[in-house]
Amino acid sequence: MKANIKGGHAFSYVEVELAPGESIMTEPDAMSSMDASLDLTARFNGGLIKGLLRKYLGGESLFISRFHNATSTPRSMTIVQPTPGEILCKELNDEVYFMQPGAFLACEESVKIGLGFAGFASWIAREGLFRIKVSGHGKVWFGAYGALLEKEVNGEYIVDTSHLVAYDPSLRLNLQLAGGLFSSFFGGEGLVTRVSGKGKIIIQTRSISSLAGWLNPKL
Amino acid sequence: MNNTMIDVVLTGELAEGISFEQACATVEKLFKLPAEQARQLLETAPRVIKRGLDSETAEKYRLTIEKNGLKVRLQGDADTAAKSEVLAPETAAVPATAVTSAVVAQAPVEAAPAIARQETAVSTTATALAPAQPVAATDFAGLKFRIDGSPDFGFLTVQLPPGQMLKVEASAMATMDTNLVMKTKMKGGISRMLSGENLFLNEFTAENGPGEIGIAPATPGDLIHRYMRGETLYLQSGAFVASTPGINIETKWQGFTKGFFSGESLFLIRASGEGDLWLNSYGAIIEIDVKDGYVVDTGNIVAFTEGLEYSISKVGGYKSLFFSGEGFVCRFKGEGKLWIQTRSVGAFAGWAGQYRPTKD
Repeated sequence: MKANIKGGHAFSYVEVELAPGESIMTEPDAMSSMDASLDLTARFNGGLIKGLLRKYLGGESLFISRFHNATSTPRSMTIVQPTPGEILCKELNDEVYFMQPGAFLACEESVKIGLGFAGFASWIAREGLFRIKVSGHGKVWFGAYGALLEKEVNGEYIVDTSHLVAYDPSLRLNLQLAGGLFSSFFGGEGLVTRVSGKGKIIIQTRSISSLAGWLNPKL
Repeated sequence: MNNTMIDVVLTGELAEGISFEQACATVEKLFKLPAEQARQLLETAPRVIKRGLDSETAEKYRLTIEKNGLKVRLQGDADTAAKSEVLAPETAAVPATAVTSAVVAQAPVEAAPAIARQETAVSTTATALAPAQPVAATDFAGLKFRIDGSPDFGFLTVQLPPGQMLKVEASAMATMDTNLVMKTKMKGGISRMLSGENLFLNEFTAENGPGEIGIAPATPGDLIHRYMRGETLYLQSGAFVASTPGINIETKWQGFTKGFFSGESLFLIRASGEGDLWLNSYGAIIEIDVKDGYVVDTGNIVAFTEGLEYSISKVGGYKSLFFSGEGFVCRFKGEGKLWIQTRSVGAFAGWAGQYRPTKD
């Protein structure tokens, strides 16, 4: 499968070319254009029960779309995300990777999409009780609002709760106050996530809550 | 023969308006280095890129490199006399413009040959320039920082040396080292609240060693940096992102005609002093050198230097005021710099607002 991410930080999209017999799984509504001869089937995201769990607990949709190229020549399609922002690709090599709810966009068929318990701390931080766990072999595309930056963590690092997008399974997440009680309330920072261990995190350079906070008084 | 031994040190600081990415590209081009090594060289700065030059040659290097938006420091012979002694035989053997061996004492071994190779490239460019005027070497005192994600979603990462404090707009901190300690300060009282800025500022101090902080403003758009040397800058309310303690931030009453009737805030922020200052906006930021006069829509001003006089007026007659959609504009006179944003908040709110569900 050939895939390129284009469109800059603000309006990233994925250009995919499916070879004969190949298929790709995407979030519903992620396809923006495609060759007319590609086959689309919608299926439950891992069965009805698991799908429902994922929908209500992981912030993902109940269904997942499968695009399959049954013709004998390569066919192309483009995949987009609903928010303005960047898309990244992670190639899994028999490993596990965690994403925040809503970040998942598409993956190769060989990748398994699961749901992991993120802990109550994550829930208090309004990040959801569960996180998306992808595993297996193949490419996964994910995105968020804002540009995405990779940051190597070795030891401890603090990330504002609404800015964490994805992280290696070797990292542990804990919740804490940004400063003292006064600072955390009036400084606008509130709760932050303390990431510890060794591995990489992906952060988004904008958060939807601060966008809303900026825009709402003006509407 | 002028025998002073001067080292050229690439400080790693960038001139205003130069992003880290651009700087990498410049180093890549200037020193003919592979992209990866150029990045490494900048990231590990300050680095000595040339050793044991006479003052004239060193000055040529400085000019060439600074023309490309990078900062260098010339280290005089006084403090490095001992070092020069050691280097003397080598430098004496080779003409000053082609010193290759004594170059990168601090560089990793694998990077050394490449950098040495490109020295010659620099010297050719340097000699091609007009004879350099000896200028006093200046030290750039600013903090190390980088801006990613420009111009759509600019994100600022600042490196704080131990003990250093940074003032940051409330709720803009996105990531930080555990070395940093946050304190919330109430600044400017009521007038600050009226200016549309948050009443609170957060102060981040690197208490237990060096630390890094990542700052994400609320608006989609760009960030700019300015190193202030005692000048004064007026910022539109909401443009302030972060500054070092040396910068004084106050609110300034614009007066009813300038503020109220332009549809903008009644207050401007006045920033003065010495240190780093970062501003943000909704949309990309364009820098304009104003010589005579310049007209900007009131909703598109980010900041301007003190030397500029401004007044609010209509673009045309009353008919165009109401029907052209231009409304009031800001007329600048005098000489100075002006920063404008490529989008305006009012226009966005007007466009997005019409799609909101109406309450019955």
